[in-house]
Amino acid sequence: MAADTTALASTIGAAGTEAEGVRRERWRTIGRMVWSTLLLLILTFLVVYPVAMLLLGALTNTNPVVDGFGAFHLSLKNFTTVLENPNVHLALFNSMVACGGGTALAVLIGLTFSWIVVRTDTPFKGFISAVSMIPLFVPPLVAAVAWSILASPKSGLINTFLKWFDIDWRFDVYTMGGLIVIFGIYYAPYVYMFTASALRNMDPSLEEAAEISGASATKTLFTITFPLIAPAIISGTLLSFVVMLGIYGIPAVLGTPGDVPVLTTYIFKLTNWSPPLYSTAASVAIILMIVTGFLVWLQQRVISAKSYITVAGKAFRPGVTRLGHWRYFTLGLAVIYLFVVVILPTLAIVVAAFRKFLFIRNVASLFDMKQYSLIHFERLFENPLAMRSIWNTMEVGVVTALVGGVFAFAIGYTVNRTNLGGRKVIDVIATIPVAIPGLVIGVAYLWAWIGLPGGLYGTIWILALAFIARFMPDTIKALSTSLLQIHRELEEAAWICGKGMLGTIRTIVLPLARPGVISAMTLLFILAIRELGSSLFLYTSNTMVMAVLLLDYYEGGNVGITAAFSLVQTILLAVLIGVANLMSRGGAGDGIKQAN
Amino acid sequence: MSAELKIENLRKQFSVGRPAIDDGSFRIEAGEIVVLLGPSGCGKTTTLRCVAGLEHPTDGRISIGHDIVSDPARKLLVPPRLRNVGMVFQSYAVWPHMTVAQNVAYPLKQRKVSSADIESKVAEVLEVVGLGEYAKRPVVSLSGGQMQRVALARSLVYKPQLLLLDEPLSNLDAKLRLRLRDDLRRIIKQTDVTALYVTHDQAEAVVLGDRIGVMRDGKLLQMASSVDLYNRPSDLFVANFTGASNTLGGKVIERNGDYGKVQAPSGQTLTAWMPPSVKAGEAVKIAVRPENVQLGVDATSVPNRFAAKVAAQHYQGVQTIYELSALGGKLEALELGTHPRYADGADVDIVIPPSLCWAFPADEKAVIE
Repeated sequence: MAADTTALASTIGAAGTEAEGVRRERWRTIGRMVWSTLLLLILTFLVVYPVAMLLLGALTNTNPVVDGFGAFHLSLKNFTTVLENPNVHLALFNSMVACGGGTALAVLIGLTFSWIVVRTDTPFKGFISAVSMIPLFVPPLVAAVAWSILASPKSGLINTFLKWFDIDWRFDVYTMGGLIVIFGIYYAPYVYMFTASALRNMDPSLEEAAEISGASATKTLFTITFPLIAPAIISGTLLSFVVMLGIYGIPAVLGTPGDVPVLTTYIFKLTNWSPPLYSTAASVAIILMIVTGFLVWLQQRVISAKSYITVAGKAFRPGVTRLGHWRYFTLGLAVIYLFVVVILPTLAIVVAAFRKFLFIRNVASLFDMKQYSLIHFERLFENPLAMRSIWNTMEVGVVTALVGGVFAFAIGYTVNRTNLGGRKVIDVIATIPVAIPGLVIGVAYLWAWIGLPGGLYGTIWILALAFIARFMPDTIKALSTSLLQIHRELEEAAWICGKGMLGTIRTIVLPLARPGVISAMTLLFILAIRELGSSLFLYTSNTMVMAVLLLDYYEGGNVGITAAFSLVQTILLAVLIGVANLMSRGGAGDGIKQAN
Repeated sequence: MSAELKIENLRKQFSVGRPAIDDGSFRIEAGEIVVLLGPSGCGKTTTLRCVAGLEHPTDGRISIGHDIVSDPARKLLVPPRLRNVGMVFQSYAVWPHMTVAQNVAYPLKQRKVSSADIESKVAEVLEVVGLGEYAKRPVVSLSGGQMQRVALARSLVYKPQLLLLDEPLSNLDAKLRLRLRDDLRRIIKQTDVTALYVTHDQAEAVVLGDRIGVMRDGKLLQMASSVDLYNRPSDLFVANFTGASNTLGGKVIERNGDYGKVQAPSGQTLTAWMPPSVKAGEAVKIAVRPENVQLGVDATSVPNRFAAKVAAQHYQGVQTIYELSALGGKLEALELGTHPRYADGADVDIVIPPSLCWAFPADEKAVIE
């Protein structure tokens, strides 16, 4: 472009114009450098600095609060000492078993449902497809609370029912088995998403060819279908493993009473020690980050490896297996799943929230209206912290969405639509948080800011910045999709018409990308208000947020108030997601599926 | 081991719309290649898939050799894997997670053939399709044309009674399509298998088929050898679809046997062949292929000789297309040769041989109106 302008100027032959062209080009070069540098500086502030501090924290044995900020006694020994700690081994082992078992169950459920939905004539497939995705919208912490109400060994509602009928069997969700089952049923959608779309995009003639060749339906499934969607299965498996590994709410609720520590709960326990073991926590966080990073890298490689899914010349509808009477069995599976992941937990929360005492003597007592009241809600809102936590959460959410959205747009545009120097580096740094669990971001921000007097620590800004950093890859990805849909020639046409770069962005790109920008911001808002892992380390009593307070109530042991607050949060989230969906026509919902 | 295919009164009705196949009947002799030709949506692929067993017919009977494989009236439906047919798909459908040899060996494995036999049969058929040296390659490393050869080898390796080909060349680029087209016929004839071939490309149909069946809207309009199809189309649609793009309105003055006199829009009369149903006094459409309009013929006593004017000349390198004003309408004429003989506006005499000039009832639906 610039060279063309100069060439044009010289053919006209006006020496003055030529000189001006050269001068303007010099200013533009400087402007580009300033812009790249600015983005890199912000990214350093958001991502590089906290992660670097986390690394330093792992290599020291000082406490940034007690010993002051710059006092590091760096030594690899601190890190190796942590590696030899048997408690760390136990937490790592438990994490692997829980996530491994949970993933296996999730693959079984996800693959079964994707086959049912895409490849069979089961009735109400639209309904089943929706049911398979619902768990993504249930906040993990609330799900865990609901299941502790349902299946705690002594007072769990299911166990109470079993006692009524004199059945001598008790469920205990406070065990490794319980953790695995809850992980498995709530993270099955990750596997489902990948495998269902792979099955849908597979050319059915690949299977028909096997049938013609003489293979039976089962044989075709195992020799052709599953091998072909293997990349999707592996990718979904790795993703659900990674998400389970980084989640805090579920193991905190279920693993703590039964003493099943995993990496995330162990890290938090370390920072709650007296005195807090910040450096040990940093070391364990590094371990968690390395495992996660490796798995994410593996997943990206599987995704980017040459896909087996071939594109056929004509549109196709997937071949459908006629199940006969078995189709009512497959429908039944879906109904049971809906019951277990949504209906039963919701009922449990509702009963616990409105019932004065959770103990239920018999069936008559369950329906005795005198046993129900609003007392738990009244007591919840008597505590000023409850209202404040809701306001704080909204405030953090709005700040995160606005600042994060604008910043992500700047990065997305720079990376996808310009040829600025340094944009590759910007892209790489902005993608790093994908491989960092929320809880690790929390620890990193803690290390980065806690020792600095008068800094960010203790304000809602540290929460917002941590969330912006944590969800940056998801936001940029959501935005890039809508940016890439705007054809490059639309911008070039504006340039030819004489608009400058910034003018083009303002008059062409932004108006066209607006639905994408709005849906990315609402996505960011919703992700921020339900985030628990990174908030844990960054809140103070003034900046308490909903998810953390809920966990406090749960750990305080008051089931009624916990259930009431869970209900309040769930309804609030449902309303907000509903509004967001209306605003962005489904964009935010899709985003949550990807970003969870 | 090739067998005849017999289709009687085949009907296929999907949940919505008109029948995809409407009362289709035809027979393919053992060892014969029949091509189903027609525009998209005419039911040719559905017919093929019914024969394969991938689609379930609503009515009618399909027999391969002595076995009835589909007869809904008797609730009889043999699954695809037991029909012993081979099929080549438009999208190749070679399995990308296997090598060339593994792809080709797959049907033999389902038939419990011993591994020594598998090896020799795979090698033999790969030699036939010209991929002898590619056995160990992963199939995704091959080009589109080679993949389609793998698919062909896979469908021939177990010597099926019947080979079904569903637009096997339409995903390939033009040059490759021509080469593979000739190879396909040679290989099919060499293996002596009965074949049903589906395409929308008339050139492909002519080269490949012993007989061609033209379909439209689920109905089989005509099934004949390609020479018959090109010279005696049964109706205006078949004539148009196989390339007779010139149509002129007219009226039958008198009829003598297979031929009759037709009055053109200009008032001039010409002699044309007409199907038995056409009667004197009836309005007709005259169809002529551009290739059959002869330009500047010297002899004066030939029938159907008319004066014409070149309205536009389109030079295409190896051939020239002339848009002519003649008989009170527009006619296109095509002449081979690199040197165009007439310029825009030139007067030229044309001759349309009566046997290559067909008058069909005017109410028949044509492809090009």
